[in-house]
Amino acid sequence: MTAVAAAPAVSHWRLSGAGLAARGLAYLGLAVVLFLPSFATDFSKTCSLAVIYALMGLSLNIVVGYTGQLSLGHQGFLGLGALVTANIVAQAQLPIWLAMACAVLATTGVALVLGLVALRITGLYLSLITLVFGSAISSSLFALARFTDNNSGVKIQRPHYLATNGDWYLVCVAVLLVVFYFDYRLTVSKVGRALLALKENEQVAEAFGIGVTSYKLLAFALSGAIAGLAGGLYAFRGELYSEKDFQDPNGFTLALLFVVMCVVGGLGNRLGVVVAGLFFGLINELLDDLFYAHWVHPWMQHVPVLGSYYSSDVKASYLASLIGALLLLQTLIFNRGGLGAQLRPISRWMTGHRFELHDATHSGPAVAEGSSVRA
Amino acid sequence: MSVLEVSDLSIRFGGLQALQDLTLTVNEFEIVGLIGPNGAGKTTAFNCITGFYKADTGKVVYRGQDVTRTPPHKKAAMGFGRTFQNVGMVKSSTVLDNLKTAQHARVQYDVVTGLLGGGRVAAEERALEAKADAILEMLGLTEFRHLRVGGLSYGTLKLLELGCALATEPDVLLLDEPSSGMGPEESHELGERLIELRKAFGLTMLLIEHHVPLVLSVCDHIYVLNFGRLLAEGKPSVIQTHPEVVAAYLGGEAPEALAATAETPEEAALDEATHPVAAKKAPAKKAPAKKPAAPRKKASS
Repeated sequence: MTAVAAAPAVSHWRLSGAGLAARGLAYLGLAVVLFLPSFATDFSKTCSLAVIYALMGLSLNIVVGYTGQLSLGHQGFLGLGALVTANIVAQAQLPIWLAMACAVLATTGVALVLGLVALRITGLYLSLITLVFGSAISSSLFALARFTDNNSGVKIQRPHYLATNGDWYLVCVAVLLVVFYFDYRLTVSKVGRALLALKENEQVAEAFGIGVTSYKLLAFALSGAIAGLAGGLYAFRGELYSEKDFQDPNGFTLALLFVVMCVVGGLGNRLGVVVAGLFFGLINELLDDLFYAHWVHPWMQHVPVLGSYYSSDVKASYLASLIGALLLLQTLIFNRGGLGAQLRPISRWMTGHRFELHDATHSGPAVAEGSSVRA
Repeated sequence: MSVLEVSDLSIRFGGLQALQDLTLTVNEFEIVGLIGPNGAGKTTAFNCITGFYKADTGKVVYRGQDVTRTPPHKKAAMGFGRTFQNVGMVKSSTVLDNLKTAQHARVQYDVVTGLLGGGRVAAEERALEAKADAILEMLGLTEFRHLRVGGLSYGTLKLLELGCALATEPDVLLLDEPSSGMGPEESHELGERLIELRKAFGLTMLLIEHHVPLVLSVCDHIYVLNFGRLLAEGKPSVIQTHPEVVAAYLGGEAPEALAATAETPEEAALDEATHPVAAKKAPAKKAPAKKPAAPRKKASS
């Protein structure tokens, strides 16, 4: 019972003035790091994608991490959000915010339908159904000529006050912060407790007075809403909706990437999933920069295996998917809690607790035993 | 008015009639025991009453209201608290979080307010925590407050589960083998605790239990199930000596000594009234014994 003895010591500890200042500086530093990319033209566009991936991570995390239902079709929601936003702006000339609101409504609705399926089917078969959903919606609805401007892609424009990539990057970051806050609220309110309870044992949840049906639907709806928002941001990021981004094989690669992000970040761990999302959003671009740097390119092309990066047709995902696979393996074998568990001492410190490498009091969806998807 | 009235409850799983025409009544502030050998249908009866199973026929009436088809989470909100045979708690959460989760139906703020946050939500969350702490204090489990449920011992878990059931603010508490995993000493304590809780919270209880001394000491009324049917019912003193019950627990026939005991006409009439099922099934062996020390010991094993 050493853990019990340690518990009171934590509650006696108080945050000192210096400690507060140090944390304030850390937040300031974080804000600067988040803000800096907005000055770059091309890099800020890449960073926007990273933020959108982080949003998708949070979206999927609600379903997989908090509720324990595996979805392999989340690119469908991203694509649907992008499709609705782009088409409303292009065809109905509605303001951008209204279009994104419509996108959120649409994805929420479709997610609710998927949620209804999830009420009856769980585990492997649900994963299969979400997989088919993502594939089917992207090869049917997304490809309709009416929605793709006769297969040339729907071109849209950001409003003049958000004309640059840097501006849009800041919008993405702002949305991420807001969603991050709501996700935090979710986990500390009755909603998060209800989802965790029903993830572990639906009968126990019912006995505690939790309506399993409505909370499962709520989880899907929230996840769909966030994905729709991410889709809207995606459409305006490139100022183009192209169905090819979401159609297989790209679509399936994306769906898989989102799941890998969640697992590597740590299922149920908000911060870990966001960091993993940012990482996977940036890695392609960073690898490209590295491989084509003047001090790497000349000799790298002669290196076996790695050298094929330059000749490969699928170079965009060639190394990134390899890195993803390796990270996934190391997470599953050595570190089930994912990045989030590794970052936990820092995140605890940032939220005004003492810096500790271990804490016995941690509870919630990201706890190791709780992070397995129920099949 | 009785708190819980169950009439003619039946459920069939494939070829197995798990429960047939179960009729039982739980009155206000009573502790009613539901006993029977393994596989008798006790937990099935619980699941039908609390709505986890949909009974094929029959009715469950709670304080005059028909709740046969009410889903379990709504019943929990109405005041049905229950525990499970294999500890029903959220294992990856801490003890404190479990007690807060259990208060779900009592939370006033709605989902959207909860997501937005703010002073009112924070105040209510603090109230939930205070309530959880009070329950922990009462059960003497405060030291486990911050520990994850997954790592606790079975006896502690059963007690905590009782705490979670209390946190749902029940009116009627259905306990499925609360003393399993406890020694004789602990289960004796549990019995006293149940009687205390009844007084403190004004509870009515329905209790599935294998530990016969506990049932006999705390229950006001006992129903005995065997093969999904009601075998007998009555006060503990009656059940204790009931030959059918003894036979069901021991397997085979009731001891000759019990059946041979003389019976006055008054007793026979009373017997007929209190357990008609048994009377119908085996009219020859329904005589209660006067001094039943031996069978009771055997029944508890």
